[in-house]
Amino acid sequence: MGAYILRRLALAVPTLVGVTVVVFALIRLVPGDPARLALGLQASEEEVQRLRVQLGLDQPLPVQYVRFLGRLLQGDLGRSVVTGEAVAREIAARLPATVQLAVASTLLATAAGMAAGVISATRQYSWVDYLVMTVALFGISLPVFWLGLMLMLLFSVHLRWLPAGGYGTPAHLVLPTVTLAAFSVAIIARMTRSSLLEVLHQDYVRTAWAKGLGAQAVVLRHALKNALIPVVTVIGLQFGGLLGGAILTETVFAWPGMGRLLVGAIVARDYPVVQGAVLVFAALFTLVNLAVDVLYAYVDPRIHYG
Amino acid sequence: MRRYGFPGLVVAALLAALVTGADGPVGAQSIPRQLRIAIGIDADRLDPAEQTTTTIANIVDYMFETLVDLHPTKQQIVPRLATRWQVSPDGLTYTFTLRRGVRFHDGTPLNAEAVKFSLERLKDPKVAMALRFLVQPVQSVEAVGEDTVRIRLSKVTPTFLSDLSTTQFAIVSPTAVQRAGDRWRSAPVGGGTGPYLFKEWRRGDSILLERNPNYWGKKPLFDEILFRVVPDAGTRLTQVLAGDVHQAMLPPAPDVRGLRRNPQVKVVEAPSDRVIFVALNTQWGPFKDVRVRQAMNYAVNKKAILASVLFDLGTVSESPCPPMMFGYHKVRDGGWPFSPPRAKELLAQAGYRDGFEVNFFTPTGRYIQDFQFAQAIAGQLRNVGVRANVSTMDWPSYVAMIQTPLERTRIQMLVLGWAWPVLDCDGVLYGQFHSSSHPPRGLGPAFYSNPRVDQILDQQRQEPNVERRKALLREAQEIIWNDAPWIWLWSQKWYVVTTRNLEGVLIHPIEKWTALCEPQEPAVGHHCVNWR
Repeated sequence: MGAYILRRLALAVPTLVGVTVVVFALIRLVPGDPARLALGLQASEEEVQRLRVQLGLDQPLPVQYVRFLGRLLQGDLGRSVVTGEAVAREIAARLPATVQLAVASTLLATAAGMAAGVISATRQYSWVDYLVMTVALFGISLPVFWLGLMLMLLFSVHLRWLPAGGYGTPAHLVLPTVTLAAFSVAIIARMTRSSLLEVLHQDYVRTAWAKGLGAQAVVLRHALKNALIPVVTVIGLQFGGLLGGAILTETVFAWPGMGRLLVGAIVARDYPVVQGAVLVFAALFTLVNLAVDVLYAYVDPRIHYG
Repeated sequence: MRRYGFPGLVVAALLAALVTGADGPVGAQSIPRQLRIAIGIDADRLDPAEQTTTTIANIVDYMFETLVDLHPTKQQIVPRLATRWQVSPDGLTYTFTLRRGVRFHDGTPLNAEAVKFSLERLKDPKVAMALRFLVQPVQSVEAVGEDTVRIRLSKVTPTFLSDLSTTQFAIVSPTAVQRAGDRWRSAPVGGGTGPYLFKEWRRGDSILLERNPNYWGKKPLFDEILFRVVPDAGTRLTQVLAGDVHQAMLPPAPDVRGLRRNPQVKVVEAPSDRVIFVALNTQWGPFKDVRVRQAMNYAVNKKAILASVLFDLGTVSESPCPPMMFGYHKVRDGGWPFSPPRAKELLAQAGYRDGFEVNFFTPTGRYIQDFQFAQAIAGQLRNVGVRANVSTMDWPSYVAMIQTPLERTRIQMLVLGWAWPVLDCDGVLYGQFHSSSHPPRGLGPAFYSNPRVDQILDQQRQEPNVERRKALLREAQEIIWNDAPWIWLWSQKWYVVTTRNLEGVLIHPIEKWTALCEPQEPAVGHHCVNWR
């Protein structure tokens, strides 16, 4: 297993280099001049040109890329055009908020989603099943910004139980977590239901019933564990995606996470921040995927990595 | 940074919430310890010289002060850190007497050396000062005594005192700047003389200021001021309604009408110096003919659009320059008249009886209701036979398009807003109508060129006599107005929403607000915020 993890980590390196090439090229392909955008419309062309030279934007693209890669190898992600701060510091300032929200909403979505999925699957075609799946449908369909604002109206403006956006205390975490989890709950519930239904119809489950096991043991111990692989995959993908920031939720709730950092950087054509943020995101995503793969082996002992 | 657009459903729900009796902001009777203000963008930098937006300049203004101030309503230069000044007869030497007994937050005394340091710093290429051209005329700064500073200019600069009142020219503590080093731009600890001092900047979240216990002027009302970064306009409004913040800038424009009637909150609005216009590429096809450009102006009903699309968040333009600027001259009372028959007549004279097709660009969410009013304008143009095809794009691409030189430009007509940090007509007229402002050197997308206008605009920059300068600016405004390189629209308002307890918040024409006491000189009258 250890060797497997090491090999996967080594394989991640070319992936990440590929990511740098793509991001580097894409952000430069779209129109927009970082120097002009940073200095504003009123700045004189001389000042803008001076900043272009300072940023090395007057150099040919391959030169710029090699310089970027050279600095990256020394662990230097460069400096933000907008704030003049080290990109690593910008990201470090935003990552905790993103991780908090991603972990909280994944935990909530996993707990609620799996519970709903199990209930739904064990009572297939009952009114409970229809209710759960209808709610799940709403969860997938509701636009996040709408749901977020509605929750704020209810819990912040009317009831005054929770703050309307912002960051810092556990109370601030509640509404964005619920908003963000709504979508994942739905997906996890549906995935758990369909996967569990498939397993529940298999012979060994019938055997388990036949030998007189209780419902809890049959469903949770025998069936659910075997139904988990696709569920774990979905949870991993959701969590990995959330680590890149949840732009809509972060915007509606004024949450200072990676999503807003990245989108703000794209809008400002802040090349170093875009590159740094996407790179960190790609690295985290790779790690989460690896963790999911490792988890497979625990969930299903038949899976071996050699 | 501006976000106005908001899905109708949400707005409707918000309004419904207002009507069905949300009990509004908490009616705290006592003065809150912390005043909380929701802003739309995070700071880029907190160094007065390096920040680039009026929103952040606002925050910096709580901590840093300039030598002179611009009175927010009287539009005259008033003392701040300098108590007196003298200008030499040739207009090249300015001598300032500094206020005595003022100390920076770090204890360093404010003296002539500090002023010299602050102004010379602006010329340092390592300092990223976007508006460096403002400091270009400064040839030397000399500390004559402890509290006397002499500034020599290389050329006559009629706007120099106004320039000195902009946030960029704030006086900073030399010791604080040197001690902070690289951290200065993000944490200007101890660096200013203002009523509040820097406490903490949590990126993407908030900026916290604390009362300066040793402030030389009137003591500020609140112990702390917290600026919360809330990018979504709807959320900013929600936070005011929920009592989370006491003031929010730019709530969603479509909600403003309802908010004006809501007794729980106050909408504070005032005209700003940002003129909104449709630039006509005067070197493209039909627009080469001044009659066509005039016809475009006759075809658009500015007042109707302001009332129905902008919720009265604008004032019709009556000159190329907005009213609060030095040199303003009202060319046409009530703005360019609305007369489709006259427009058709002029188009026919110019040989466009059947109109023509034109591409029409607008940003989305940059100016108040921009995409919406562009469509209204296109609709009105269609009535006189001009088929304008509206399209939009993201702001960086938009700016890149404006920067394209004439031979490659795609611009035929486009929406743009223009403001200037100094309230002087020179900023608009020179920046948009002098032929040196053609892209890519400048950002004047009308490619307007008139030798007489060039001559006047150059001349007024050298004219120390106030009245003669006014006359020159007046002539320029008359000529440009009738040449119609733009469809003259309006200057847009700046607005904030506050809880009803907060009184006396003032909007400056340069898209700023103030929740402080100012100006500091009793001679021109105090204006302070209050809590009821």
